[in-house]
Amino acid sequence: MPALEARLSRLFAAHTFPVGISVDSQHSHAAWAAALGGISLPLLADFHPKGAVGKAYGTYLEAAGLDDRATVLVDAAGIVRYAESVTPGGKRDIEALVAACEALDASFDGDLPTMPSPPEPPTDMTLFVRDHCMFSRWALYARANLHLDGALPVRNVSVDAQARADLEALGGKAQAPALQIGDEVMYESQDIVARLTGACAPLL
Amino acid sequence: MIDVGAKAPPFQLGDHLGRRFDLSAHHGKRHVLMLFYPLDFTPT
Repeated sequence: MPALEARLSRLFAAHTFPVGISVDSQHSHAAWAAALGGISLPLLADFHPKGAVGKAYGTYLEAAGLDDRATVLVDAAGIVRYAESVTPGGKRDIEALVAACEALDASFDGDLPTMPSPPEPPTDMTLFVRDHCMFSRWALYARANLHLDGALPVRNVSVDAQARADLEALGGKAQAPALQIGDEVMYESQDIVARLTGACAPLL
Repeated sequence: MIDVGAKAPPFQLGDHLGRRFDLSAHHGKRHVLMLFYPLDFTPT
């Protein structure tokens, strides 16, 4: 996935949007993506009902209960143009796949709109978190996956009394996680992640 | 495995940032590269 993330601008230039898909949950995806150094391209959770999309594409390995390591390229007309497995233990050649996308795009019959550039993240943001809190962790994973480590300072109210006092003064309560953007303070982790994602990496 | 030349089955799935991905929303605008893989925390 990092090899793909590093080639996002080339893929976008070739009018191609990449997604990863496995039967893992969105929480597993978020933790793994953050551990990889941050992945903003969608990691889709084919989790419930398990493997439904994999079954539709013939990539689901029933006996193992997992998807094959397989790549499917769907063109802008909705037609499958490439479908190959490297077997579950195999390794994909990401560079060759990106080149295949560029070749497909060059030969595609029809004009496609330019993919929009990702927006600049808002300035003047702070993320308040606390220790031993799954909702704080969810917000921190999103920060990593949106590559906001430099743009979004984190303050931990569990260890920083001044952070707790500042949050209470800003938002009316010292509850974390909380996201402050200018005068706006939000406390629900789903709202926080949606706000950050909408600002930095909306689905096109 | 699905055949080359087949119509891609439509689907919607959620992702790790809470976004909802709808394949059909991309038709007419761009191609979609789908990387299926066995499990998180394995090389892709």
